[in-house]
Amino acid sequence: MKVSTLPPSRVLPAPGLTGWRVRRRILPLLLASLVTATILQAQQPKPGDVTALDKQTLQLLLQRIDQLESRVRQLEAERQPAAVVSPAPGPTQKSAPPVNEAEQQAESQAESAVPERMDLSKTLLRLRGFGDITLHGDTRKGNTTAFTLGQLNLFVTSDISEKFKFLSEIVFEGGPDNIYGVTRGEINTFSVDVERYLVQYSYNDYLNVGAGRFHTAIGYYNTAYHHSTWFQTTTARPFLFQFEDRGGILPIHTVGVSAFGLIPSGRLGLHYVAEVGNGRASRSPLTQEPVQNVVDDQNHKAFNLALFARPEAIRGLQVGFSVYRDLLAPINSPRIGETILAAHAVFVRPRFEWLNEALVVRHAIFGTSQVFNTPGFYTQFSRQLGSYRPYFRYQYINASGTEPVFPDVRLRQGPSVGLRYDASESVALKLQYDYTDSRARAARNALALQVGFTF
Amino acid sequence: MPRRVGILPVFIGAGFLAVALSFASDLRPFIPSEPPTASEQNLAVVVNLSNPIENLSMAELRNLFLGERSHWPNGRRITLVMMEPGQPERAAVLSLICQMSESDFKNHFLHGLFTGEVFVSPKTLATPVGVRKFVFNVPGAIGYVRATDVDASVKVIRVDERLPEEKGYKLHIPPRPSK
Repeated sequence: MKVSTLPPSRVLPAPGLTGWRVRRRILPLLLASLVTATILQAQQPKPGDVTALDKQTLQLLLQRIDQLESRVRQLEAERQPAAVVSPAPGPTQKSAPPVNEAEQQAESQAESAVPERMDLSKTLLRLRGFGDITLHGDTRKGNTTAFTLGQLNLFVTSDISEKFKFLSEIVFEGGPDNIYGVTRGEINTFSVDVERYLVQYSYNDYLNVGAGRFHTAIGYYNTAYHHSTWFQTTTARPFLFQFEDRGGILPIHTVGVSAFGLIPSGRLGLHYVAEVGNGRASRSPLTQEPVQNVVDDQNHKAFNLALFARPEAIRGLQVGFSVYRDLLAPINSPRIGETILAAHAVFVRPRFEWLNEALVVRHAIFGTSQVFNTPGFYTQFSRQLGSYRPYFRYQYINASGTEPVFPDVRLRQGPSVGLRYDASESVALKLQYDYTDSRARAARNALALQVGFTF
Repeated sequence: MPRRVGILPVFIGAGFLAVALSFASDLRPFIPSEPPTASEQNLAVVVNLSNPIENLSMAELRNLFLGERSHWPNGRRITLVMMEPGQPERAAVLSLICQMSESDFKNHFLHGLFTGEVFVSPKTLATPVGVRKFVFNVPGAIGYVRATDVDASVKVIRVDERLPEEKGYKLHIPPRPSK
């Protein structure tokens, strides 16, 4: 924010000159002025003297203008030491292009040169918030209807320099045990998770590199919506992309480095993402922090490679696949090779959304011939009708009961229908019904009413 | 169980068919804009004089104005200049190039920043003079003004091989309201 150093121009009355006193002192002055003006009018010079007087006055005025101009230049120089390159009219400008080496300097100068209001994109730190509050109930035995505080997400970005950028998601969240932010501890304890923590370097459109904690580019959903329910059409993520600490089966987060960018492919619009990271900890025990933020339990690193196309011909279409490979080391069990193959085809326009994703999680136990394949998919469709957006989602996941990493998941499938109402540009109300058929438990009917917002 | 498996593909197939039909109605082909009426003016896309770019296709312009490209081919970082909301020049760019409403455009940039895919944050200026000054001073800048507001301080680029004064140019704008 720029703050003017010039004092505000205000006329302050002299001390004691207020109210009727002011009027009493000014009235004689006005009368005196009137008399003087009359006398001056009576003493008008002869025509011969007029020319000499005009020349003299003109000379004085020109001198005064020169003095004022030099004073303005002096003040401008004091206020803005680096002179701005100012476009002078005329074709001669083409021979004097700006100095390329000083782009950053020129940009900042241009901003100060332009008197119009600017946005805050050069501000070092930018903060955006997302949150949601849900009233949720279902028919499962033992579950109660409850108001639930969703994730309070503080999204912080900063343009460190022209090439470097920082972004993070700092999330306050309630755990499954009614604890806000941690999965163990005292009731109603507040805590915080740093869900994303990423410094990015942008060399050009073809090479961007990031390091830190980020969302793994498995499929589409994980890197499209992150921790904001306001961005999502629905009240919650699909089973497949549920967060690790909510029983999700995928390594949603990883700590490592990532490279991404365009692949020269013309109108096909090919992109790549290549990631190396610590991967996730084995899910046993379940209370363990699934993301290896500080220490990896082994030297082996997880790899992920994703390719996707955004063809120019069909704006909004994205088709792609990803391959993820890791090695898990559960406690008291042999090592497990993990491979995740994912494919997606999504079509997203402001008024229309159709998401389709399918994946297979393959776990091969070392030293045996045992292989467990867990397939899953979801399809989601919505269409904007004014401020309303009705939507439908069908999702499916089928894990074996003897699956070594997530034996509790088993078969889950069912439809969800809902309606999103955008009450304003930043607030959305969502009503969603879910039917979930489960092999492990009785079928569940659930209803959720959510307000999601950004601030 | 076998009965459920049999119904599932039918259910999914019917759903996909319904979605496809709905989606087909949303897939409108790009219709080239009509020639300008007598009262309409052309909108010029302008860059810095040092920028070697001469021509951009509508698709490339769209990528640029949606922040989906962060660098010019010469490696210089792109700085996007937009006029303030409510200005007819901005409305023309959103409608003809971005094919979005004002709120869709805002959401697009917010979402892009959130996902980390958008590196370019638009500068907002109030007047054509401001746009010209900015583009003149920032080598990587790209903006737009009415063709009648162009002067020698900026470079007008071709859009789909056409300059604003040439026949078939696609970016038109209603005339400036008289005071």
